[in-house]
Amino acid sequence: MTAMYLFLAAMLLPMLSGLFLLFFQGKLKNRTLKCILIFLVMALTAGLTVRLMCFEDYQLVLWHLTDKLDILVRMDNMTRLFAGMTVTAWTLGGVFAFEYMKHEEKEDRYFGFYLIVMGVLIGLDHAGNLITLYLFFELMTLSSLPLVLHTLTHDAVMAGLKYLFYSVAGAFLALFGIFYLYAHGAGLPFCEGGYLMVLDAYSGSGKMTLLVLMLMIVGFGTKAGMFPLHGWLPTAHPVAPAPASAVLSGIITKSGVLAIIRVVFYTVGADVLRGSWVQYTWMTLALITVFMGSMMAYKEQVLKKRLAYSTVSQVSYILFGLSVLNQDGMVGALSHFVFHSVVKDCLFLVAGVIIYKTGKKTVKELTGIGKEMPITMWCFTLVSITLVGIPPTSGFISKWYLAEGSLQTGIGGYAWFGPVVLLLSAMLTAGYLLPISIQSFFPGEGYHYQELRKKEPNLLMLIPMLLFTAAAVVFGMFPGRFLGFLQMTAADVIR
Amino acid sequence: MSSVYLVLPVVLPIVGGALMPILHLPDKKRNLLLEILVLLTSAIALLCVYRRPEAGFTLFHLTGNLDFALRLDGLGSVFTCLIAILWPLSTLYAFEYMRHEERTTSFFAFYTMTYGVTMGIAMAENLVTMYLFYELLTLVSVYLVMHPMTKKAIRASRTYLYYSIGGAAFAFISLIFVIVFGDTTDFILGGVLNMEKIGNNVSTMLFVYLLSFWGFGVKAAVFPFQGWLPKASVAPTPVTALLHAVAVVKSGAFALMRLTYYCFGPDFIRGTWVHFAVMSIAMLSIIYGSTMAVKETHFKRRLAFSTISNLSYIVLALTMMSPLGLLAGISHLVFHAVMKIGSFFSAGAILHQSKKEYVDELDGLAKKMPFVFTVFTLCGLSLIGIPLFAGFVSKWNIAAAAMEVGEQYPYAYMAVMVLLYSALMTAVYILTVAIRAWFPDRGKELHSNEKITDPNWEMKLPLGLFAITVLVFGVCSEPLMQVFRAVVQGTF
Repeated sequence: MTAMYLFLAAMLLPMLSGLFLLFFQGKLKNRTLKCILIFLVMALTAGLTVRLMCFEDYQLVLWHLTDKLDILVRMDNMTRLFAGMTVTAWTLGGVFAFEYMKHEEKEDRYFGFYLIVMGVLIGLDHAGNLITLYLFFELMTLSSLPLVLHTLTHDAVMAGLKYLFYSVAGAFLALFGIFYLYAHGAGLPFCEGGYLMVLDAYSGSGKMTLLVLMLMIVGFGTKAGMFPLHGWLPTAHPVAPAPASAVLSGIITKSGVLAIIRVVFYTVGADVLRGSWVQYTWMTLALITVFMGSMMAYKEQVLKKRLAYSTVSQVSYILFGLSVLNQDGMVGALSHFVFHSVVKDCLFLVAGVIIYKTGKKTVKELTGIGKEMPITMWCFTLVSITLVGIPPTSGFISKWYLAEGSLQTGIGGYAWFGPVVLLLSAMLTAGYLLPISIQSFFPGEGYHYQELRKKEPNLLMLIPMLLFTAAAVVFGMFPGRFLGFLQMTAADVIR
Repeated sequence: MSSVYLVLPVVLPIVGGALMPILHLPDKKRNLLLEILVLLTSAIALLCVYRRPEAGFTLFHLTGNLDFALRLDGLGSVFTCLIAILWPLSTLYAFEYMRHEERTTSFFAFYTMTYGVTMGIAMAENLVTMYLFYELLTLVSVYLVMHPMTKKAIRASRTYLYYSIGGAAFAFISLIFVIVFGDTTDFILGGVLNMEKIGNNVSTMLFVYLLSFWGFGVKAAVFPFQGWLPKASVAPTPVTALLHAVAVVKSGAFALMRLTYYCFGPDFIRGTWVHFAVMSIAMLSIIYGSTMAVKETHFKRRLAFSTISNLSYIVLALTMMSPLGLLAGISHLVFHAVMKIGSFFSAGAILHQSKKEYVDELDGLAKKMPFVFTVFTLCGLSLIGIPLFAGFVSKWNIAAAAMEVGEQYPYAYMAVMVLLYSALMTAVYILTVAIRAWFPDRGKELHSNEKITDPNWEMKLPLGLFAITVLVFGVCSEPLMQVFRAVVQGTF
């Protein structure tokens, strides 16, 4: 019972505070007080979530929607991982926004929806069966929409609608699968390793199940920006305010990953997919996305758009790690989830700082910017190195496991083709990130050192970036316990 | 309770409405009298459902074994309740909406008479009675479409008349065949056809079912007889909302339920070519309706197209020819009524307060009318089928029914696909309106000197109630579902 009340508190506290902010927009004049209150709400939510993570695994029915549909929450290792990452990134992104949103209008609306999405995500991470997952998935799409179109320029509103319709279309593809699975008895709570094949009630034909699974992977993959439904991501992420882009890229795309994990490893079971056409298609789609995303990022000149394309590519690393369906791939995927979240959050925050302080948006303008804001650009450089995957940073570890996982599959060409694509993409990643660092610190001859002025942001912006950077590097040097946790989790779900 | 009381909900509004033009009352008194009349009728109707007389009441014998008779059974009770609850609220809304219109007395006279006739359809004991009320419904409601008396309105009413009369003619064919090949014309769950009498005329009977499906389906706007509905949206909003989202069109869907489950019987049709034919018709209507709704920029017409697709959700559910299908049909019949009337009333309130009728004029309007747009957004989310809203429950039921049938006839999987396609289209045509109203582009905000406000309480009350209903049934629909399940099993 304690767990239930704590969960409800953790979910409803940010939601209700957010609604409160929306209803009383502009009424709270004292900005400092408002920011402190918002921070307290986020910190308290984070605290409650961490307290929940300390409980033993549990499963609670909150409400019977109808006789067959339960709203059910669940605590397991996957929940711990995703919920922990969510509240951390969300709180830090919120702190950053206290400063950043000074130059945007209607910040009450922004913070209102920001808090609501936080509550929804906590619900999503705790979802214990398919219908609960779907419920929070839809709510997340709807409540995060105002973050995308916040600036209300024509482009932003159109991008918001694009985001909405892609997401809804993806969710409906997945809903078809949920209908199908429920009709075949899969309305039960999630369970490590899946349970569909051992159900007595299960009588569906294997072919139909596979087709349905493909639909669900593509459907939920929409949120993760997987080819062919990735089109919304490079449009929607850059138009949002920077702290929103950070969490959209860092956290919300990952909810698509979580949904796929829940379907494949907690409902159906990896054995159903292994060796089927669905697995091969999934791997192919993921690899196409990895390559295409980095290629597009390499060509893109607007910094935030480049980062968005990079997200397209990197989230599909995670999906590829899942699609190989073995423990090492899973460990690689989960660790890349954490590392990419940390890195991409930080990168978008840096892009935000640059816009906030100088208004510069394209890569070409960034020449010499490292002289003006050295700490910021050091953060940028370190996390870039992480994303490329150079040891001893954390990105190296996840890519190592991803390659291991791919090689273990023993599927003819794929076993080595996967790592090759990953390496190619890593090279491209270096190609689209590192030159920015280089030209920002070494502006070359044309640079006028006389005009140099320090533009380093204040602590509200620096602290989140520094923490993210530290996490990205430190995880790489001392990964032991963390990897142990992931290996345990992977061993539970893939036997 | 004696079965004589069944006559009251039918006769009271018809007589009251007919007397209205003779009395020559001033507007205020007339409105008061009307509301009392409508409330009284609803109270009696609900009482009849609550303490239901087992027997039917025969008004008169037409000829031979054809009776003109009223009786309440499970399905009829559900429809009766729905009508009885929605009508007083709509009347209240209509008072405010029609305040500045002309010829209101004749409008309200016909409006109220329609109430009685719809009650008649809900309470009809047999196919003959239902058919008679069905014809009557066309005749009394045609004036309501015509009411604005513009050229467009008169043309629309003529279209409506032709479609409906034509449909009724098709329906009449089924009446004859059921009289000849059935044991009785009374509605009995599971069908009344006598296989011995039919002998080797099975294929004829199937064809007759298809004809009458289209015949009764005209009012439910099934493809290709949907043309009258978008045109009829020229009528005043209380008409488009109540009649063209609930009473008239749901009478069509209700009649199809009666025809399929209580006359021909689902077992007779299941697995035959007609089964797949009617399923395909329903799917086509859904695709047509929701696609056209995206294309349409006139707000009320857009909702009318949405009604076409949603009515066919009901029809699609009942073409599953299974108890689960009927259950899904009934639940969407009820939930769609609430959410569509809610969104129509919002559109009407917007039209009434701001005179804006095209969707691209609504940018930023939510700032001025937050109440109305909150209701519209909630009802819209429900129409899309987002969980926690009523629409999700009924869509889930339809999909569950289709999945069950899909085991045997994989064609039914197509139905689920169509349902999801339509849900996506619904998201497009509803949310573009809602989002652009709440979040207008820069430079498209309304001028602050435009004086547009939320309407007064007479409009707000129904709107608020509908929004709350949508939320409540979305979260807690189980008690209602138990009733529906009993109806489907014939135990209610």
